[in-house]
Amino acid sequence: MRKFVFFGGKGGVGKTTMSSAYAVKCARAGVSTLLVSTDPAHSTRDVFDQSFTDTPEPVEDEPNLDAMEIDPETEVREHLMETKRALGEQVSPAMVNEIDRQIEMAHQTPGAHESALFDRFIDVMRDSDQYDRIVFDTSPTGGTLRLLSLPEYLDGWIQRLLHKRKQSVKLFERAAIGNNEPRRMMEGDPIIARLEQRRDDFNFAKEMLQSQAAFFLVVNPDELSIRETKRAVEQLDDYGLDVRGLAVNRLTPEPDPDEQGRGATFLRNRVKTEQERLRELREDLSPPLVAAIETRVAEVKGDFLGEVADEIEVGVELTTN
Amino acid sequence: MTLAARIESFRELVVEWLRGLYHGMITHPAYEKIEKQAEDDEDAFMLACFPDAFGIPSPVSYYTAELLPYLEDEFEAWERRMWDRGSLLERKGHQYHF
Repeated sequence: MRKFVFFGGKGGVGKTTMSSAYAVKCARAGVSTLLVSTDPAHSTRDVFDQSFTDTPEPVEDEPNLDAMEIDPETEVREHLMETKRALGEQVSPAMVNEIDRQIEMAHQTPGAHESALFDRFIDVMRDSDQYDRIVFDTSPTGGTLRLLSLPEYLDGWIQRLLHKRKQSVKLFERAAIGNNEPRRMMEGDPIIARLEQRRDDFNFAKEMLQSQAAFFLVVNPDELSIRETKRAVEQLDDYGLDVRGLAVNRLTPEPDPDEQGRGATFLRNRVKTEQERLRELREDLSPPLVAAIETRVAEVKGDFLGEVADEIEVGVELTTN
Repeated sequence: MTLAARIESFRELVVEWLRGLYHGMITHPAYEKIEKQAEDDEDAFMLACFPDAFGIPSPVSYYTAELLPYLEDEFEAWERRMWDRGSLLERKGHQYHF
């Protein structure tokens, strides 16, 4: 399995359960593992009965496992503070108010959270040397897909901005008559430097996601979840990302044959429709089923986690492809 | 003053005038044009960076916001140019000194 493993899917299908179980599986097999939750409504803390922060912390009773929770809200706030600090250092007091407003506005745009989250993604992937495996528990499908499409999308934008900036600076340099200092200079231009830094970040992310990441989609055996998964598989394929498998969660347990009560009939009917859905998943979608987990009576925690982990047929050993 | 000296000073005057004329008529407007074009390009850059200043949401404004501290002069000049530009024609017209 590749170094970065992502679990995605519709809201409420059990992504956290699956990703936690897989992380535990890796850790117990002796692979040093980091579990990263990127869902703003974190539930990793509920699975392990332990609170986590923005920096990796060891999980109790799991020697090879660390976990962290990324909070986009905090990331956005920090970015805002940092930008404002730079503003205070660079800009004359008369202009500060004007620019300040602009900065505030930029941090309230709809994309701000995603961008902040994405920055953290890049950081986590960059500083991942001490771990052999990083498991991402992502936010529900829509958000994740947008997040993963960001490098492709933003790269184009940044390239355009960079091109425009270079063009105008070049002209300013040419317009400087004789020994006059040009108004802008290519060399040491902070704008070009920053944009180039961004471009490199995006390329790095794209490279990592395409060559070192594997994706698993968690599905429930119901119509809506299956349809959303189909779309997600298509989109991930479009971005050139590698969908390795589907993990079906919340399957109904079959009653014993001698049971004939109302409950047993209900369960039997339910199992029948679910088998139908499973067949659909197997036939219509290219990624194979890697796990079929039955509904648990209690929340998946502690001991259950190990049981679920055993049912996930995803390798833990590190390979590059 | 000898004749040679008078011719010499006259020639200097002519050369200075010619150089001035050449600069005023040919080189200066050319540099001015280049600078104007550079400003136009910069305006386009600023607009692409901060369209939300005009209420257009931008997917990268989160990233471009961190450029703002380094864009003080540009930002001010941009706003000023945006205010006093009647039309594209008017701005392009500035290069002809009627």
